[in-house]
Amino acid sequence: MILTGPEITKAVSDDRIRIDPFSAEQVNPNSYNVRLGDTLLTYTDEVVDAYRANPTSATRLDEQGLVLRPDQLYLGHTVERVGSDEYVPLLFGRSSVGRLGLFVEITAPIGDIGFHGQWTLMLSSVRPLRVYPGMKIGQIMFFVSKGEIDLYEGKYQAAAGPQASRYWRDRVVSA
Amino acid sequence: MILTRRAVTEAISRGEIVIEPYDPARLSPNAYDWSLGDRIRICDGDLDAALPTPYQEVTIPPDGMVLRPGILYLGVTHERTSSERYAQLLNGDRTVGGLGIWVHVSAPLGHVGHAIHWTLEIRVARPVRVYPRMTFGKIIFLETFGDPASYQSLGRKYRRTGGIDISRLHEELT
Repeated sequence: MILTGPEITKAVSDDRIRIDPFSAEQVNPNSYNVRLGDTLLTYTDEVVDAYRANPTSATRLDEQGLVLRPDQLYLGHTVERVGSDEYVPLLFGRSSVGRLGLFVEITAPIGDIGFHGQWTLMLSSVRPLRVYPGMKIGQIMFFVSKGEIDLYEGKYQAAAGPQASRYWRDRVVSA
Repeated sequence: MILTRRAVTEAISRGEIVIEPYDPARLSPNAYDWSLGDRIRICDGDLDAALPTPYQEVTIPPDGMVLRPGILYLGVTHERTSSERYAQLLNGDRTVGGLGIWVHVSAPLGHVGHAIHWTLEIRVARPVRVYPRMTFGKIIFLETFGDPASYQSLGRKYRRTGGIDISRLHEELT
C-alpha cells in the first residue's frame, strides 16, 4: 500500500517519517516533492572504475543555474533529509522534470527502511538542460511494509550532499 | 497492494477505475496493457527548466516512425485513465524495453485523482521504428493507506490533460 499525502503529513508529525525541512506545500496526493540541492559531483576520469574510488569534482549551483550536458553523469542531492523507520521510500523524478528529458535516478528508485539523510540524485539529461538550485526535482513515495523490520546500517547512512558510488567497498576479492 | 486482473475488472465495473477506450483483452494478470497514441513531439534543441520547451509535433504514420538516440520524444497514451480511489503506476513493458526504448522512467506515479492521457517521456538506445497504437506499456493500480487526497481538489497542473504536455516547471520558477 502506498501512503496518501495526508498520511505522509500525519506520519511526519508523529515521527514515522522524517522530512527536514518539511513544507505542507510540497505534499502531493501520494508523494512528497523534494528539491535540488546546490552541489553537483561529476567523475573526472574518462572511465569510471567499479572497483576503485573514483575522483570527483564538485560544482556549486548559483541562481544562474547550470547547463547539464547529455554526455555527463551528475550526482546531485536533495535539499531535504528524508527517511523512515517504518515505510519503504521510493524516489522518482517529477513528471515536469521528466518532460524536460532529465532522468533523476538510474535503475534504483527503492530506498531502505532506516536510511536517513539527503538522497543522492543520479542526473542524466537527454538534451542540454539548464537546472536551478532549489527547484522541485523529484518525489518520494512511501509504501507500507510487511514483516519484521531490520533498519538500514549501510555505507551511505546520514548522507550529506551527493555521494559518489562506493561500490569499491563491496568488492569481493577472489583468492 | 497491487490490484489483480479480477480486482481491476471489478473496480472498472464499479466505476472506481476508468480506462477509455477500454478493451478487456488488454488486461494482464496484474496490469492493463496500454497503447501508444498517434501524436508525438520531438524536442531536439537546448532546454531550460525556466522556459517553455520548444518542440515539433507530428503524427506517427501508419507505417511507423524511426526514433533516434540523443533526442527527447514526448508521446501520449492512447488511453485516458483515472481513479479517485487507487494510485496508478505507469511504465513501459519488457517487450518495448527489449527494443532499447525507455518509456516514462522518471515519473511513473499517477496520483489519486489524476484523469489523464499520460504524457510519455521517451528516449532510445538505438534507432528504432515505432507504430501508432502499438502496445507500449503497463499500468498498475495500487491501494492507498491513509485519508485520501485528490489531484482534482488541489488545483495542480496537468490534472486533466487530453494531449501531450510539455513541462510546465517554468511556471514554478518565475
